[in-house]
Formats: sequence, C-alpha cells, structure tokens
Amino acid sequence: MADFVQLVILGLLAGGVYVAVGVGFGLVWGVLNIVNLAHGALVIVGGYITWQLFSAFHLDPFLTLPVDAVALFVIGYALQRGVINRIIRAPLLFTFLLTFGVNLVIINILLLIFGSDFRSVTPHYSGQGLELGSVVVPYVRLASLAAAILLAAGLAFVLNRTRIGLAIHAISSDRDAAQLVGIDLRHAYAVTYGLGAACAGVAGGLIALIQAITPTAGEPYTLQAFVVVILGGLGRVSATVVGGLAFGLVEVFGQSIPGSGSVFANAIAFGLMVVVLVTRPQGLMGRLR
Amino acid sequence: MISSTISSNRRWRRIFLVLGAVVAAYAVLAPLTSLDFAQSANVPLLADRLWFRLATYIAMFIVMATAWNIIGGITGYAAFGNVAFFGIGAYTTGMLIAKAKWPFLVALPLAPVVSAAFAALVGLPLLRLRGHYFAVASLGVGVAVGELVQNIDYGGQPVFGGASGLFLPILSINNRGLFFFYLMVAAAAIAIAVTWWVLRSRFGYGLIAIRENEEAAAVIGVNTTAYKVAAYALAAALTGLAGGIFSQWNVFINQDNAFPIEYNVQMILMALLGGTGTVFGPAAGAVLLQLLIQFLGGSLPITLNLPFVSDTARPILAQVILGLLLILVVIFVPRGVIDFFGGRTRLSLSYLRRSLRETSL
Repeated sequence: MADFVQLVILGLLAGGVYVAVGVGFGLVWGVLNIVNLAHGALVIVGGYITWQLFSAFHLDPFLTLPVDAVALFVIGYALQRGVINRIIRAPLLFTFLLTFGVNLVIINILLLIFGSDFRSVTPHYSGQGLELGSVVVPYVRLASLAAAILLAAGLAFVLNRTRIGLAIHAISSDRDAAQLVGIDLRHAYAVTYGLGAACAGVAGGLIALIQAITPTAGEPYTLQAFVVVILGGLGRVSATVVGGLAFGLVEVFGQSIPGSGSVFANAIAFGLMVVVLVTRPQGLMGRLR
Repeated sequence: MISSTISSNRRWRRIFLVLGAVVAAYAVLAPLTSLDFAQSANVPLLADRLWFRLATYIAMFIVMATAWNIIGGITGYAAFGNVAFFGIGAYTTGMLIAKAKWPFLVALPLAPVVSAAFAALVGLPLLRLRGHYFAVASLGVGVAVGELVQNIDYGGQPVFGGASGLFLPILSINNRGLFFFYLMVAAAAIAIAVTWWVLRSRFGYGLIAIRENEEAAAVIGVNTTAYKVAAYALAAALTGLAGGIFSQWNVFINQDNAFPIEYNVQMILMALLGGTGTVFGPAAGAVLLQLLIQFLGGSLPITLNLPFVSDTARPILAQVILGLLLILVVIFVPRGVIDFFGGRTRLSLSYLRRSLRETSL
C-alpha cells in the first residue's frame, strides 16, 4: 500500500512536466490545427536558456522561467508570422513537413552553438526532499509540478479573461467570421503560436532541472505531448492538465512493472494513445464536438 | 501564346525523358566496367566502391519514396512511420540469415511478406484514424517498433541482437557491390512498375477516390477499409524488400541504421519534391535529394569547401541546410518539381507567388 501511494505521488510529480509540455502543444493544435513537430525543439531551447542563465549568472532556475517564456514567445511569434502563416491553408502533410523542417533547423543550430554534451542544472537544493513517512518527495519535482499548474492556470486566464484570448477563441471556432468582426488573423495566429512556444519554454526550464539535456533531448517530448493532449481531450487547458497527470501516472506505473518496463516508455505511450483513440476519441475529459 | 506554352512544355517533357533515360542507362551500364573482363580489356573504370555505395543508396531511396507514394500520395494518408517496415524487412532477413542460417536469396522474399503482414495488422486500427491522428499514430509505430526490437529480451538474452545489433555473415560472391546494386535497382524497378500498375487499375482508382473524398468513395462501392489496408501493406512490402536487401548488403544492422527516424521525412520529402501521385516523380525526387544529402555531407567526389566551417560542424550545417530546403519546398513548390515538366506550368516568379498566395493566411 505504501508502495502504491509512493507510485501515485511520483506519478503526479512526473506528470507536472507533461502538463507543461502538453498545454502549449494542445493550444497550437486546437486553435491553429497544426501538429507542431517543432514543439520538442522549442522545449529544449527553453532548457538551454535556463542552463545558460544558471551556469553563467547563477540565477535560480525557477527565476529563469519567465525569461524562457518571454524569449520563446518572441521566437514563436516570429516563426508563425514569418513562416508557418504561409501554409495555413495547405493540406496537413505540409504543416507536418514544415514544422519538422523547423525542428531540424532549431536542433542543429543548438548543436552548432552548444555541442552535443549533456548539460544539467543543479541548484544547491536539487538533492533535497520532503519526507512524508516512507516517501521522499524531491523539492525540485514538487516545485516543478506547482510551476506547471501555475503555467496552465495562467494560460487559461489569458485565454478566458483577456481580449486576445477572446480573439483566439474566435479564430478557433470560425476563422472567416473572426476576420469579419475585425480580428487581425495574422497577429492572432502568431500570438497563439507564441503562447504555445512560451509554454514550451517554461516546460524546457523545468526539464533542465530534472534531467540532463542535449539538443536532441526534446524529440521524445513531441510525441509525448501528442499523447497527453489526446489522453485529456483536445480543446481545453484543464483537460490537458488531467491528461498530463494521467500520463505521468501511466509512465510511473509502467516503469514499475517487473522486467525492463522502463525502456518501453515510447511503446507504452504509443499503445495507450492508440487505445484511447480507438475507444474514446474525445479524450478522458473531452466532449464530442 | 497558349500554343507556344504547350510546345515549350512538350520540349521540356522530351528533354526530361531523354535526360532520365540517359541517367538510367548510365546507372545500369557503368557498373559493368568494374567486371574483370572489362578491366582486362582496358575499359575505363566508371564505377568504384564509392560509386556503388552511393548508387545503391539512391536506388534504396527510390524504392522507399515510391512505396510511400502509394499510401501517402495516391491514397492520401500521411504515413509518417514507414521506416518501421524498412526495419522489419531488414530484421526479418537478418534474423533468418544470422540465426536460422538460411541462404540470402531464400530469406529475402520473406522480408516483404512479414512487413506487409505487420502493416495489415497495425493498419486495421490505425487506418480508422484520419488526418493528424493517423500521421502521429504511424510515427508512433515507427518509434515503438525500433524500440521493441532493440529491447525485447527472452530468458535474459536479447532476441534481436539488442543494443549491440545483429551481424550477418558476408555473402561470398564475386562483385558484391555490383550484385547488391543490381538487386536494389531491380527492387526500384518493381516499385515503379507496381505504381504504374496501381495507377491504371480499378484498385488505384479506388485509392484515388479515397484520397479525394472517402465518404463518397464508400458510397460508390469502394470497400475503403480493404483498399486502405491493401495500399498500406503494398507500401510496406516494397519498403520491407529494400530493408531486406539492405541488411545483407550492410552486413550489420541495429536500431540506428534499420529504424532511422530521419528516413521517414526524407522519403516523404523525395516524393513531394518529385511530385506525389505520379509514377516517376518520387524516383526523380529520390535521386535529387539523395545526391544533395550526400553532397552536403561531403561524401561526393565534388565537395563544397566553406570557409570558417570545421569538419565537425559540416554534417550539422548540412542538416540545417536540409531543414531550410524542406521549409522552402513546402512553402514554394508544394506540388513538386514535376509540375514544371508535366505540361501545366513553368517555373517563374509568378508561380512562386501564386503557390504562396494559395496557402497563405
């Protein structure tokens, strides 16, 4: 029983990162109808910004998260405005290939700048944890989960309570009607992608805290973000939060299976996705649209 | 004006066909100069080891791009994980030769059979999905199969050679390079012939109907599930055949060279560059893109010496250029270069501007 409780706690903590990775991906997919294969690369850009600020200026990694968000928002806005907006009306294969091309360029530029060495962010409190009976909860994991929930709440606030959020809702439900009522589509699309990238940046900062990063370390997160969004259901931030936490639980319980469960992370994630898609395509929390 | 465009397009098409025939004839005849009797007759050597390696790779990508075209171009299902079939083909042949000691030519026909059976099996649930869902689910298959092959253990022993890979005995024949080159070219010819047949058959018309409108296709009596699964399995069989030849040619296979994720995108880009849904487009795209990749990677006799670029940065820079090329092709030449030869249009600034306007926000 104590084992079970520990696994649940670890699973929810692991889910924090997936929430952070998933919300930005889900926003871009739900509103722009783009499966953003560059998401993992944007995540790792955030990770490198955190690592750079931490190693050069000894900034606390959690304080660098807003910097990640702002920097990635600017990159994402420019990317959508300059490149991705050009193929919005093309078939989906083209958005796939385009974002994959962006992914390739970003990863290899990172390789040129930082090389392929492993970089890790280890603040002085990284080894410490909170003891709850027999269960030890690392502070970093706990704070990451809190930061991820805050990020999701912030995103939900922007989408539901601000003017640009209303515009994003409008383009998501009817692009042409949104244009008719005076919304600047190019700007609104770019802001949406920028917000998604900003979430990716924050996720990257959190990931740099819990694992060593390389320029290619973001790739698994693209597929995982996709599974998280499907698991929760497309279209709402709260659904993605549930999906992320559920994915964390599945991962931790999968790894605890005796035998080499830990090396089948992708296979488990993928199998789960197919099961959900075939049996409950609207996701755990979704409503059929 | 119109008649001059048509005649100029006819001229272009003729130039294109002659060029293709010359390249094909050169590719088929040049290897013969490496045979012993040709060498003793002082024929200049046109094909050395490097040539064979490059040409076999090009033929391999012709197979994969042409096979992808059947499911992605003709049927319109954006398969993103076809490399799984390449790897399954490679491991089928590899396991039969290395573990069961089968002769190569007996083991090879099983590669397409196993790949096609696997594709039919996963295709039944996957092809119910559409659009983004199918694309990412098939990508997931590509990733997951590679991971499973590397990590499956039985009684503590890796079943498929594990992380250290699988070594095959070297085939003991003369002119090995020549043999594998012709074998791969034969596979490419089969792939192209199959595409040609598909596009002229009732089956192919059904696939095109599915691409254009799946509901309408079902209404006019196309058994969409059977057609889609058959197209997926056909593409898998051809890709698996290339994988089977690759395993004996390369002698060593592991997760990295049998399931390279980048092949997924390369074969799609080749089909796109040449023109999807056509017979020869993917093959032309494969030749162009593979030459470009090898050129950027520095494995061609002619290389590009950039100032300020170290040898370690070179392959990375090549990837950056490849990514930028991918972006430019998708934005500006979405229907492939074959558009310029097919008698419809010509490459001009207004063509680029038009394709930008058609898809832009």
